[in-house]
Amino acid sequence: MSIVLIAARQEIKSLRREKLAQALLIVFVGMVSLSSFIGWLTKKNVTAIWQKVKYQGLTTAPNPFANVPDLYYLRNTVIYLVLIGALLAIVLGVASILRDRKAHTADLILTRPIDSRSYLLGKLMGIGLWLTTILGFVTLISWMSIALIIGKALAFGDSLHLVAFFAMSLIFLLGFVLLGMICALYSSRETNALLLPISLWSIITFVLPQLGTADHPVSLLNPVPAIANQGGAFSILNSVFSPLSTTEQFKKASSSILGNPDFIGSPTVGITVLALALMVGTFVLLTSKRDRLRRTLDE
Amino acid sequence: MNNTFVIFRKELLDVRRNKFLLLLLTFTLLAVLVSILVSALDFRVKIYAYNKYVSALHSAGSTTVPAPPQLFPLQLLRGSIEYLEILGALFSIVLGYGMIAKEKQKATLGLIFTRPIGRYQFAAGKILALAWTWFLAVLTIFAVVTAVVAIIGNSPLHAIDLYRLLITAGLSWIYLLLWSALAMGLASYTRELGISLVASIVLWLSVVLILPQIGDTMDPDNQVPGGLFNSLQISKKNEVAVLANFAGFDKVRNGIEVSSITKHYERSTFAYLGIKDKFNQKPVSFAFSGTLPNLLSLIFGFFGVILFAILITTRKRLLRR
Amino acid sequence: MENVAIRATGLAKAYGEKQALHPLDLTINSGEIFGLLGHNGAGKTTTVNLLTTLLEPSAGSLEVAGFDGSRQASDLRRAIGYLPENVQFYDNLSTMENLHFFARLSGIVKPESRIREVLKYLNFTGHDNERLGSFSKGMRQRVGIAQAILHQPKVLFLDEPTSGLDPVGVRELRDVIVSLNRDLGMTIFMNTHLLAEVSKTCTSIGVLRQGQLVYHDTLNSTLLSFPSEESLEEIYLQIDTAKTT
Repeated sequence: MSIVLIAARQEIKSLRREKLAQALLIVFVGMVSLSSFIGWLTKKNVTAIWQKVKYQGLTTAPNPFANVPDLYYLRNTVIYLVLIGALLAIVLGVASILRDRKAHTADLILTRPIDSRSYLLGKLMGIGLWLTTILGFVTLISWMSIALIIGKALAFGDSLHLVAFFAMSLIFLLGFVLLGMICALYSSRETNALLLPISLWSIITFVLPQLGTADHPVSLLNPVPAIANQGGAFSILNSVFSPLSTTEQFKKASSSILGNPDFIGSPTVGITVLALALMVGTFVLLTSKRDRLRRTLDE
Repeated sequence: MNNTFVIFRKELLDVRRNKFLLLLLTFTLLAVLVSILVSALDFRVKIYAYNKYVSALHSAGSTTVPAPPQLFPLQLLRGSIEYLEILGALFSIVLGYGMIAKEKQKATLGLIFTRPIGRYQFAAGKILALAWTWFLAVLTIFAVVTAVVAIIGNSPLHAIDLYRLLITAGLSWIYLLLWSALAMGLASYTRELGISLVASIVLWLSVVLILPQIGDTMDPDNQVPGGLFNSLQISKKNEVAVLANFAGFDKVRNGIEVSSITKHYERSTFAYLGIKDKFNQKPVSFAFSGTLPNLLSLIFGFFGVILFAILITTRKRLLRR
Repeated sequence: MENVAIRATGLAKAYGEKQALHPLDLTINSGEIFGLLGHNGAGKTTTVNLLTTLLEPSAGSLEVAGFDGSRQASDLRRAIGYLPENVQFYDNLSTMENLHFFARLSGIVKPESRIREVLKYLNFTGHDNERLGSFSKGMRQRVGIAQAILHQPKVLFLDEPTSGLDPVGVRELRDVIVSLNRDLGMTIFMNTHLLAEVSKTCTSIGVLRQGQLVYHDTLNSTLLSFPSEESLEEIYLQIDTAKTT
């Protein structure tokens, strides 16, 4: 059995015992399960409001939710992937590396005839397989909850889009897994190993988008984007910073795949940015010096 | 009392030497400043667009002069407060957790508790150190913020603005110390440090991010870019009258929001800073009466958590196996 | 009045169903250097933790330096010094700052001169302002002993004090222990594995086996009682295995 597969198997076994990962997983699956319901409740309420104002003659505008696509109910899931999914991915990546550093098992591993790059790749693969299983499960829950809301099975095309969305989510999350692994390799303290990638996540999720659009941090967590300022310096700032924010690219690409009428554009740019982030992260991980895994933590 | 002060002094020394912590606090300050600068730039762009629009109107022969956008300097702090809500809370957890984690990891508890130290002196010393650290951090952040806002607003801030900023700084101190004390209490409470870190981070995620996000998502006005009632061209007066018919839904939505201490902090500070239109340019007493429940929730939550941290961080708890 | 430094009467500790220490009756007189021997997991550290009030006993009572462990715990702690196994300090703080902190907790006001005095006694000068993060094991151990004796305790508890030290470090530590006992009259209670050191340092020994005290006597009496054994190691092995038959 190749080193990559051995390492992947070991990683999957270990992941089942990571408490923080388990806790975040429960929160993640719980929120994704609820997200369709929250979307349905909100849509029902807005439609009722529109009917009221139309009846009172206060508006002649059409119902903004008259023709929303069936995949509209996944809008909140996009945000939960950015929030909880990304944090879960970071925790998995950090835990994977810290496990060896804390237990000093790297000494036992690296004194065997193995390539450290294969070992690290195997860890990444193990986490990737684990995430794939979770996302597969979440895809099924989403499909079933939407079918329950609309009262029928999703059309074949929509089902394919749903699968495509979660496949793209895997690429998005693996980027953060790599961020966690790299930070854990280079940190000298356990707390720093977790805090550094979370701080970077907050820069990617809040600071960079704010620089490009003047959107406030909390409003970036709303699935409905605020009307962004595209004028003046912001058009330049947006073109510089937007590609660096994988979370914004993920949100835009998701809007396109899920058929959000507020978004016009193709998901290609977004998916390309996510894929590039994954490649760069993998390169950095695999070019790390062999002895990084052996370095003692200060705490 | 004496041992409390000994522990307090030692902790301050430790915090001063903790480079990573200083980095986190600097990062928070930078995020706060970036937010102010971006908001100021946003306003400039709007002014530029407005001037262009007026110019175009005049060229077309119109004598109409639309109202220009107005700059209320304290409203520039919206994003900054949100960064304190989100990142400030996270770093508070790190600081509070670290207070106990380092003692457990280094096994210095044995050296401390084989000395004649009173039941609550250890906890009190730690809490005092956290309080002082956050006092200095908040003072620094708000001093810098006040200076930047005054420069950007191109005019000195009035005494009333400084008063509002002082109140906001006080509320921020309460909010940040609350999270530190909670993390410290949890680290003392659990046998395994890892579990307390899990609990703290999950609490942060749920209380600071998820609960407010759900409440925000359920707000009907947030369902359409630019606002639902704007898109339906409905006036504020009619909006209020219509929403009165959906009080049940709003009660549930609001209930979800106010179960988060973060929302209480946000509503209070936004009111005092005049960030919400309802409170903009209104007296401080109006903000006070309008957000009294939020203020009380924040204060009760604060004292509750401090009490929890002090009562739980005892020799018996910390030394149990 | 008896000259008793440590008295344990039926002192026991259980963790649920597991009895870490069976009821222990032990008396150690003032001025003794007592070495507690035992295999890994025998209960040596549990015994020290009970006597230093770090753990609450499940049964029995203890008295150290004349103070009752349950009713006079604070006074007891003033009278003892404690060096844990693999002692750690606050790496960001210097030697002086670390010791200043522990001295103040022991009730010493303005401890600076006392700290310098102790460091000189331990032959560890010139490191006052260095941070402990860079110290070797031996250096940490010195600082560890310093914090344990700053307040001139009557009884000093040492948990595996030679663990991880090189032979020179072991010898230096032995000299310190002997001189603390000789010069300051300190009673010393020491957990250890190193039988060679026990034979050079201790005046009395005890052997713990699976939480039970199976042997306690002075070192001289022990050597006389086992004339056929050539070393303390052989005596210990005989004592340790005797109870299994």
